Amino acid sequence: MNRLFAVIDATSKAQLGILSIHRMPGALPFGGKYRLIDFTLSNMKHAGVKNVAIFPYGNYRSLQDHVGSGKRWDLDRRQDGLFILPPKNIQSATQDMITFQRMHEHKEHFHRSKQPYVVITQANIVWNIDFNEALDHHIESQADITEIVTERARIKTYILSKEKLLEYIINYDTIPYKTIQEVFISAPSISTNTYYHKGYSRYIFDTYNYMKANLDMLRFDRGRQVFLEARPVLSKEKTAPPVRYEASADVHNSLIASGSIINGRVINSVIGRDVLIKKGAIVENSVLMNNAVVEEDAHITYAILDKSTVIRKHTVLEGTLQDPYVTQKYQLVTEQTHIHVLQVASEMTPFIKTGGLADVLGGLTEHLVKLGIKVSVILPLYKQVRKNFEESLKKVFTQEVVYDQETYQITVHSLEYKGATIYFVEHFKYFSRDEIYGYKDDCDRFAFFNKCVVEMLEHLDNFNLMHLHDWHTGLIPLILNEKNIDLKTLLTLHNIDYQGVCNKETLTRLGLTHTIVQDKELNFLKTGILNATKLSTVSETYRDELRYDYYGKNLTESLLRRERDFFGVLNGISNKQSPAQDKVIVSQYSTKHPEGKLENKRYLQQEMGLEKDDNAFLIGSVTRITEQKGFEIIIPALERLFEQHQDVQYILLGQGDANFVNGLRSLESKYPNRIKLNIGYDSANPNHIYAGCDVFLMPSRVEPCGLGQMIAMRYGTVPVVRQTGGLADTVRGYDPVTNRGTGFSFFNYDIDSLEHTLKEAYHVYKTNPTIWKKLIRRDMESDFSLLRQANKMFELYRLTIGN
Amino acid sequence: MKKRVVAMVLVGGRGTRLGDITKHTAKPAVSFGGKYKLIDFVLSNLTHASIDTVGIVTQYEPHALMQYIQRGSSWDLDLSDGGVHFLTPYTSHEGEKWQSGTAHAIQQHIHFVKSYRPEHVLILSGDHVYKMDYTKLIAHHEKNGADITVAVFKPTDDLSRYGVMSVNQEGAIIDFEEKPTQPKSNLASMGIYVFKTEILERILGDDCFEENDFGRDIIPKALRENYRVFSYFFEGYFRDVGTVESLFEANMDLIDHPEYLDIHNYDDLPIFTKTEDLPPHHNIASNAVKKSLISDGSLIMGKVERSIISSGVLIKSDAFIHNSIIYSNVKIGEHSELKNCIVLEGTVILPRTKLVFEQPTIIDNAFLWKMGDAK
Repeated sequence: MNRLFAVIDATSKAQLGILSIHRMPGALPFGGKYRLIDFTLSNMKHAGVKNVAIFPYGNYRSLQDHVGSGKRWDLDRRQDGLFILPPKNIQSATQDMITFQRMHEHKEHFHRSKQPYVVITQANIVWNIDFNEALDHHIESQADITEIVTERARIKTYILSKEKLLEYIINYDTIPYKTIQEVFISAPSISTNTYYHKGYSRYIFDTYNYMKANLDMLRFDRGRQVFLEARPVLSKEKTAPPVRYEASADVHNSLIASGSIINGRVINSVIGRDVLIKKGAIVENSVLMNNAVVEEDAHITYAILDKSTVIRKHTVLEGTLQDPYVTQKYQLVTEQTHIHVLQVASEMTPFIKTGGLADVLGGLTEHLVKLGIKVSVILPLYKQVRKNFEESLKKVFTQEVVYDQETYQITVHSLEYKGATIYFVEHFKYFSRDEIYGYKDDCDRFAFFNKCVVEMLEHLDNFNLMHLHDWHTGLIPLILNEKNIDLKTLLTLHNIDYQGVCNKETLTRLGLTHTIVQDKELNFLKTGILNATKLSTVSETYRDELRYDYYGKNLTESLLRRERDFFGVLNGISNKQSPAQDKVIVSQYSTKHPEGKLENKRYLQQEMGLEKDDNAFLIGSVTRITEQKGFEIIIPALERLFEQHQDVQYILLGQGDANFVNGLRSLESKYPNRIKLNIGYDSANPNHIYAGCDVFLMPSRVEPCGLGQMIAMRYGTVPVVRQTGGLADTVRGYDPVTNRGTGFSFFNYDIDSLEHTLKEAYHVYKTNPTIWKKLIRRDMESDFSLLRQANKMFELYRLTIGN
Repeated sequence: MKKRVVAMVLVGGRGTRLGDITKHTAKPAVSFGGKYKLIDFVLSNLTHASIDTVGIVTQYEPHALMQYIQRGSSWDLDLSDGGVHFLTPYTSHEGEKWQSGTAHAIQQHIHFVKSYRPEHVLILSGDHVYKMDYTKLIAHHEKNGADITVAVFKPTDDLSRYGVMSVNQEGAIIDFEEKPTQPKSNLASMGIYVFKTEILERILGDDCFEENDFGRDIIPKALRENYRVFSYFFEGYFRDVGTVESLFEANMDLIDHPEYLDIHNYDDLPIFTKTEDLPPHHNIASNAVKKSLISDGSLIMGKVERSIISSGVLIKSDAFIHNSIIYSNVKIGEHSELKNCIVLEGTVILPRTKLVFEQPTIIDNAFLWKMGDAK
């Protein structure tokens, strides 16, 4: 029976957020006492597979710990056995799936393996499959490659001959396909076969699926498809006593692993080993990992508590199935109903705005207040602010601040804004200028601002946490440390292109020794990264991307050092921005009454002078026209698409680089009735594009968060994006096998991939209106609200405070 | 390979007072607390004391035990030097060696002990329920320069079941009475001994008879011959679960007095056991389980109070289990009621069966057939 060897792909980091900070997805605890990889390894054992190679990405210690020598799965063998084959190049970006190049790094392993067939599968699938049956199916079909799929999803599992795989591995640098999945989907000369696995299965790549799969185990019909008596799921052996139910225990349909002690109420939950639920506590629809503690009268709903989390008395945590409340290992979650956070930034809507940061901070502040959090904000008092808000400003106090051996007097003003207190620091020399940035002494100005903030603290209430934004606040954690002020700080990176770099003299001016910073120069942002309690950025995928030089640039090393304290929280968009309330568009619409969208399409075509055609595939963009936004590939890909299809239209609103604008113009002149450009931001209202188009094009090379795709989705305009940053976190690629997804996406930044993806979208639009309607509905129902963002930020505040 | 201490665990006896519980298993393989077997206590104590060379002296129905312990990996006792060894009766040029006394059993395997050239031999029983730090016992033994140290405790029940020790101020044993009707002291032997190896060899000598027993024969002999025999007083929880009642009570102590064995506390000598590949138990019932211990792989649809449920047990809806111990893979049908039962492994209880007793009662399939016949 030794026909098969296995490649377990653990190269993908998935989108598990906090849960995968300390571990790879395969090592994630599941179902009370398992780790995700147990399922795949047990399947191997039961199929008699004796040669298993795991390909992990970066940090695989937790996985190595768990699998050990593989003894549990009979893989501790003299011949063959279990191999963990790490990447030779740690810095290579994480992929969607294991590449041939990655396998090439260990090509000897493939040469050495004696079995004639190989199965490539994932480390994070919950299932119980008979691989021998799948292999027989493959052999009978005489196909080159068999894909194993389930009703629910494609699970990136393939069977093929070793010989065939070796061909791809050896020629990885000359063939146009990077992964076996690409070969299966696109290679013209191979014959393919599909094997349907009938039992339960779920591919765990985000917290929703993690939560769902756990709760599925509580359903008799599903759980029993995974925990089969004939093929038990094997895990690392650990001993714990039986679960202890006390007299006050009140348990309803739950899975409870050994060693736990139950005093409270547990409803529809999965409880790991050695968990303690105290009297009066309520745990509902939640997943608790080992050693979690829920204290008296705490109430948690739809939460995932990582190992050794402690939920203090009376604490209430509430997540949803889609967005569970997730804690970090060893986190202490306290009641914190009266948490008071101090925001510090250089700009905030509606007071002063140059970029996205101002809007984010304005929206966040408003919604944090709605959650019952007390918020104060400190901003510099710029000339414009004084002019526009003179009447509302109230003088609060004055203070002396020493900078560069001179004593300055600052005046602090405040006003109330949507339930938050906004403090403005007035200083004539540094802040009272016509512009906010762009001066030679910007570093001095903000170093001074940072010092002012710290010195002001004694005049203000006590705060639980200081939330800092971008480089302008980067020195605050260092100054706090030097003054021994124990205040937790969270630094959010909105834009790493500006870092605030200057001579180290600035440190001396602050009254600090310049040896506390090791580099030759003082970098505000880097100093903040190294000294803040916790860090965040604007999406989880961007957070991961920043570990690579390509994205993280000079900050990669410091960010890697802080990897365990670095989180991603997606920005949100205002609920006012909605096709049901939009007074600009010609016809309002909603998921219940989506008909109005077509009116908007007709209006847009007419206004812009496009051919009137209800069935035209209308692509739209609202964007800066720059390299970062993908114009290198947009122009040639569109060109190919226009050549091949008469009924494609494109409309763009934006401004930017002359090179790209010229390229677009020449395309426009070639197809005058089908392409319309609106260059310059004020030429038209973008809402017409969001509402009127069928597809929203946003194939950015780098996109930390991105708001355009979220707005488009809310308007039921299906996004076509590259899987990067916030785009990857908001758009789920459509899969024709399962009909799942919310848009169309591709990974490799090249013209072919974009062209292919656009054609895929075109094809679905033209041939499958039912599915297209479903995509529109899913998009409009996606929740990217500011309230969601505020909730997630609140989770992070608690995590920062509880550390 | 030289070892400082070699442990010899006696698991020979059938434990006839446990009735049908030991029909097919030696007493040390009897289930305890839902998840354990009696032998787990000794093996866990040994591994915590880093005593890694263990001879298991077997005789009665050893297979279940051998299968259970295997190479001892569940207790980290699977070592290339030392580890767990099963010592079974054997035939030699001197004739058949079938042991009946504890001392005689050790004497038969004295070559095994000598092969490790230990300084001390720790003699234990495989069927006691207790958590004990043997390093303290051995340190005490060495500090006293004792030839023999006997671990003693203060029983809460009838002293006349035990070997009773009288000790002087230094803790040296001055008198020993086996099962006395009028005990002179309240200290009883736990059946745990440390011997200097050479003393053990000398005392057992060549004239060790088949019925020779440590408590009844060897300790009195050592006292007569003026060896240095000391006591080591053990304060913790200790139960010799020799009868159905004591086994039942010790199990219930886990529920009523969790502090006695403190099995949920891993910092203090955790008890290791061999785990099965079972998912966590699934409690489908609503607010129906109270004051109970439930093990992996069980499916609970009925009501459970003050009971111990082992692994893989199925309790159907509207069944009511109270004051009972259910061994693994038992199935209990709808609307059944069980009180004061010890239900043995694999028993199938049909729906609407009423098994309500005032005294702990052993239930197995044979019992149920008989009961069916009686009807």
